[in-house]
Amino acid sequence: MIDGAPIAVEVLHVLERMPSGASGALVREQADGTMAGALLVEHGRVCWAMSRRYRIRLTDLLVAEQGTLCAAQLDEVVALCHRERMPLGETLIARGLVSLPVLHRVLLRHTCEALDCLVRDDASPWAWVEHSGYGYHPMLTFSATEVLAGVRAIANPPLAARALERLRAVVRADQRGFAIERASGAKLPLAQLGCDGVDLALLADLAAQAHEVMAVATAVELDAAITELDGFACASWIEDNVLFVLLCNGELAFNRLLAQVAAMTTHT
Amino acid sequence: MKPLVDIAGAVRDCIVAAWVDTRTGAVLEQHVLRDGPLVATAVGAATEVMRSSERPPRMVLLSARHVHIVQRVAGDPRRALIVICERSPNIGLALALVRAFIEPELA
Repeated sequence: MIDGAPIAVEVLHVLERMPSGASGALVREQADGTMAGALLVEHGRVCWAMSRRYRIRLTDLLVAEQGTLCAAQLDEVVALCHRERMPLGETLIARGLVSLPVLHRVLLRHTCEALDCLVRDDASPWAWVEHSGYGYHPMLTFSATEVLAGVRAIANPPLAARALERLRAVVRADQRGFAIERASGAKLPLAQLGCDGVDLALLADLAAQAHEVMAVATAVELDAAITELDGFACASWIEDNVLFVLLCNGELAFNRLLAQVAAMTTHT
Repeated sequence: MKPLVDIAGAVRDCIVAAWVDTRTGAVLEQHVLRDGPLVATAVGAATEVMRSSERPPRMVLLSARHVHIVQRVAGDPRRALIVICERSPNIGLALALVRAFIEPELA
């Protein structure tokens, strides 16, 4: 089995192949010419991934996630949507069967797990097929950063969940944050909050630089760093072998981050 | 170049102030108020970061006891000032003093 970090690197390369703002699909084929799977993209955002090797249905995940739902209820809505050509996600929300956050979380998980399988598949190279659009609601599509962190989290879901919980506790309204597992070779986010608008390559650069700074800092028993990187004020520190990074820009961003991190490290 | 003794005297509980060359990592000049094992390793670590490919324009490193402030000279990015002091409640003031020392017009 391939470790989660190299798979996330593969996914990073796939996501970087998406033409900016375009709609279409990145497709892989099997040796016999049939489709191994595809990543659907609308206006530069990921809508859905499918893989012949990923057998879990979205409805299975929804039932597991939301205890008030039963498979029969969902099957009925799925059949209706299929028959009437209605969008499943919007219909589930309109009927009050799932909340938007739950649907968003389950769709993201399904997409990331399917993409993880597709990347591992022994299939053809990726080919881009242009499309005019699939009509997905923007709220039910995902940024490349969300997908990358989602795939990275598959390798260690409890660690990713703890990292996200920590980010929720520290990231303020005008900030963004992400977390990286230090043990892995690749410096890709395991969890993120508010980093949707940050270019993937820039995020990878910031992660590598923060890692470099903290490697030096910890060597001399320093707990946290605040630096200016690529136009951002950037705070980084390590907890339980996870590197946390907060990003902030604007006037006095550096001083605000310094005050925040100083308050956090007072208690260490 | 203003004498380092000025900034060392202005920043509360200053341990060392040093000018370093960000290309080579060489310490160009330093003013040590309290020598000890911390000084050489801390100056070395701060210099190491400033030598990295990105060379951040400024950086603050924190521990429960110490603060390391590193600021590059805007007009001469090959030179950086490192000030290491004891941790005090007002780190922002120390940061402002370092900035004012290095770039008086920005203060």
